[in-house]
Amino acid sequence: MAKLIGEPVKVHQKKSDEAPSITAFIWRKRLYRVNEVINWWREPADWWSGNTLRFFVQVDATNSSTCTYELYKMGESWFLSRVLD
Amino acid sequence: MNFTHLHVHSQYSFLDGASTIDDLLQKAKQLGMPAMALTDHNRLTGAIRFYEKAKALDIKPVIGAEINVENGYHLTLLCKNKQGYSNLCRLITDAHLSNRGKAPIAAKKTLAKYNDGLIAFSGCDKGELPVLVNNGRIDDAKIASDFYRTVYGEDFFIELIRYPQREYMSNSFQLIELAREKGLPVVATNNVHYANMDRYRIKELLNAIDQNIPVSQLKGFRTVEQYLKSAKEMNELFSDIPEAIDMTEEIAGRCNFEPELGKLYFPGFDVPKGESESSYLSKIALKGAKKRYEILSPQVIERLQYELTTIEKLGFCGYFLVVWDIVRWAKARNIRCQARGSAVDSLVVYALGISTIDPVMPNLLFERFMHELRREPPDIDLDIDRRRRDEVRDYVYDRYGAENVSCIGTINTYMARGAIRDVGKALELPENTIDEACAGIHWLSAAQLLQKMDNRPELRNGNIYRRPEMAEFFKLCASIDCFPKHLSVHLGGLLISKRKLSEMIPLEWSSGGDIISQYDKDDIEKLGIVKMDLLALPTLTVIEDTITNIRKNRNIDINLDNIDPNDPQAFAMLREGGTIGTFQLESPAQREMAGRLLPDRYEDIIISISLVRPGPLKSNMDKDYLPRRHKKKSVTYLHPKLENALDETLGVILYQEQVLKVAHDLAGMSYAEADGFRRAMTHDRSGEEMENMRESFISSAAKNGVNREISEKVFEQLAAFAAYGFCKAHAAAYAELAYQTLWLKCHYPAEFFAAILSNQPMGYYPPRVLLAEAKRSGVKILPLDINNSCRNYSVEGDSIRIGLMQLKGISSETIESILSERDKSKFDSFRDFILRVGINRRSAENLIKTGACSAFDRADVLLSEIPILFNLKHKIINETQSMFGYNDIPKFNKSEILFGSREEERFVERKLLSLDISSHPLDFFNIGTDVTHMKDLKNQGTGNTVCIAGSVIRYQTPPTRNGKRVMYIIMEDGTGIADITVFGDVQEKYGNILFREGWLLVKGKIQRRGPMSLSIIAEELSPLEAN
Repeated sequence: MAKLIGEPVKVHQKKSDEAPSITAFIWRKRLYRVNEVINWWREPADWWSGNTLRFFVQVDATNSSTCTYELYKMGESWFLSRVLD
Repeated sequence: MNFTHLHVHSQYSFLDGASTIDDLLQKAKQLGMPAMALTDHNRLTGAIRFYEKAKALDIKPVIGAEINVENGYHLTLLCKNKQGYSNLCRLITDAHLSNRGKAPIAAKKTLAKYNDGLIAFSGCDKGELPVLVNNGRIDDAKIASDFYRTVYGEDFFIELIRYPQREYMSNSFQLIELAREKGLPVVATNNVHYANMDRYRIKELLNAIDQNIPVSQLKGFRTVEQYLKSAKEMNELFSDIPEAIDMTEEIAGRCNFEPELGKLYFPGFDVPKGESESSYLSKIALKGAKKRYEILSPQVIERLQYELTTIEKLGFCGYFLVVWDIVRWAKARNIRCQARGSAVDSLVVYALGISTIDPVMPNLLFERFMHELRREPPDIDLDIDRRRRDEVRDYVYDRYGAENVSCIGTINTYMARGAIRDVGKALELPENTIDEACAGIHWLSAAQLLQKMDNRPELRNGNIYRRPEMAEFFKLCASIDCFPKHLSVHLGGLLISKRKLSEMIPLEWSSGGDIISQYDKDDIEKLGIVKMDLLALPTLTVIEDTITNIRKNRNIDINLDNIDPNDPQAFAMLREGGTIGTFQLESPAQREMAGRLLPDRYEDIIISISLVRPGPLKSNMDKDYLPRRHKKKSVTYLHPKLENALDETLGVILYQEQVLKVAHDLAGMSYAEADGFRRAMTHDRSGEEMENMRESFISSAAKNGVNREISEKVFEQLAAFAAYGFCKAHAAAYAELAYQTLWLKCHYPAEFFAAILSNQPMGYYPPRVLLAEAKRSGVKILPLDINNSCRNYSVEGDSIRIGLMQLKGISSETIESILSERDKSKFDSFRDFILRVGINRRSAENLIKTGACSAFDRADVLLSEIPILFNLKHKIINETQSMFGYNDIPKFNKSEILFGSREEERFVERKLLSLDISSHPLDFFNIGTDVTHMKDLKNQGTGNTVCIAGSVIRYQTPPTRNGKRVMYIIMEDGTGIADITVFGDVQEKYGNILFREGWLLVKGKIQRRGPMSLSIIAEELSPLEAN
């Protein structure tokens, strides 16, 4: 089951331009520590409408419990795409 | 950590590859890759330039292609060796030629036939195995893999491509499983379509253009991953299967095909028994020379022998025989055909009847055409009557075998306008926005569009180029600059080979149905396949038609070999600039030169043609020559030894042949060495190389007794001239045709203009300008007439009758029907015409509107008869009414006259005939009273201010010496032609008008650079307002 979110998050990275190096992210004022980067990929955007491509990262992260989270970066901003059980 | 990209598409994967070969190789170099393959879709068009560029960057080139096989599956193929390349050429050729009008498909049996020397990969996600695996048809995939394994043995690999995505690369794992089960090796590729990730947008844009849909409607899998990834990125992607990475290097090591560049391949000629190509050529050349010259002088015999020896030494005898054979065949069928270019320097060419210019009399130098030190293929270009050129081409196919002959392909690439139209359509821009963006663009590449926006007045002032929301659009247009759109036929170029061409080069169909090489002429030349240019020249058709018209109209047979070469009337017309319609002499620059040179002899035409070229004009050569010609400056020579070479041009170097003579006479070089010297100076040389050449020239001249100061000056003149001088032989060949057209126009204007108007499009001016010129030459223009008009323009006494072909929308069948019915008997009424001729209503109406039926009744009456007549015709055809009904047509009420006003007439002429016959459009513009008619400009002196009004025939922006753009506008007003010069400051001021307006009011000052020359220096421009 996946729950669509689509909300902005703040991401902590070792290097700002490398998505797989995410160490944690903050969503709704709560910190989620990344245990493992499971997968990452890039998706083309509807560039003809002015959108830029999106950089996706699937991570295994823990707050009170551990879940799989899908985050994406568009431009300079990060968003939580969905939460997977 | 090494990896080699073995599946790479460049821009030569037409409308799919989004990066150029240069960009891909540069990226590979940056990434430190030792090798790279090029695998464009179904073509090898980019292979030779890829090979050369890769070598230059010290990257090992691997040549291959991704071809379509049965069911549209893709297959990646790489050439291991020469045999593999030859087989790939044959496979690609077969895939194209056996699927005319459709996508190329290689049959599986053909794969098996041409397998040797090739390495095969199972292909991208459109490959047979990946598709079957994706569809869960594992057993079928196994069968298919067995087929490929059988065909390619150990050279068949399972291709693994991984694009990171949400559903993680499942296909690649299944393929690995299949490979393991079948014991097949695997190889990793990235199916590269662009050098850097950001070009994915360009790929999508190109795909949308290719499919003729908006980019937003593109279907299928989208990715940004098909870029040239680093070895590190590829290793990470395939970390679970490193052997797929290692295999790339091993495969690159197996591919060692090197194209043989520089070797020459000649067509063969079957000579009579007992003869060699050389002995036969000598025999026919001698026979031809005897025909050309009544008595063979020792000079002719010696030169002939010298040329034949050189031709034999260079191995070109077969080539000369083939050209001779083609010309002989054409001339036997009365097809006008003759050589142009430096080949005219050859006595053998003249003796064989290939050229019409005697090279001995004006001492044209054979070495300018060919010599032993020049190891390049010979190049004899033939001009052929345009209407009959294809007959000659068909003969070549029949004579030398369809598989040994092909046309040369030419790559059509994006310029600014094409890019704006196609990108605009893909991005769904409104039509009027696209039109606006195209309006101010005049001969610009897409990339220049961005560069020139700031300094071209017509772009700077165009609002659309400044709108921020359009910036990205123009960037996208620029990003496909010079990208290929399609292959088409190179005009004239023909390849003739001893062996099947498809063994050496890949071939395909052109859209017009010709078989063409996938390589362009430059790559063909590098591969050493000798080409021949059979060029369709409409001037030869016009000459032939004019002579036919004269014979029919006046019962006179004209033999152009016997006309007076210095006819005073023709030269008077030339001096007065009355050359519109003539070959090579009609451009504004030539007309202006005639007014300055004041030609009065045949040689002047050769001089004029040689002078009016960008190079000589840029270097002010005219300013050196003309004062000497008019005795305003004395003729001097830097050294007496130069007199022999330069006396024909009064001490000024005008021809390339003279460079050879000067180097020979002054520095003691042989003519062959002198040509090498000339050619060396035409190329970009380093300062050091140039200095070496200078020293060598000066020391040779010193041995000849010429002092350093003089030889230095001569060297400087030669160096300045060599780059832009004109070949005299070529000028002489053109001058002959130019003079023939001038003479025909002068003495038989009606016949000449009927011929030239019947052969449009050709030349410099549109038909309406030619028609106006015909009127000025005293020719009356007769209207279209169903009882008198022929298919094309015809001559009636001193008049020209407009032809039926001129009518918009009329079919060939209708014209044929009119002509064949009229042959039986003339039409005695409009009813007779409609009932006898196979014609549709629209064409019948148009004929009435253009006055073609006015002999029968008023246009409105005839138009009102049409419905009833067609109804009656229908009934007759269906036999429901007897022919008696033909006379029972009711009387019509004559309505108000629809036609007859001058405006209406002009509108109809323009719309239906694209001509202005009864009046000039300028009559309907509000031009004021202070406007000077162009015919009266000749009365104006230098510095006079005039105002002219007229239609723009052409804008020109030739290169200039200082690099600043000067614009020339040719205008006409029905009474004459005017040449307007627009300098930078005026361009700045009127940028929003330039290239956009078809009708202009120009105020400017008269400039006369010679007694008869005249142009207007523009000061003010404004669009003309209609009444």
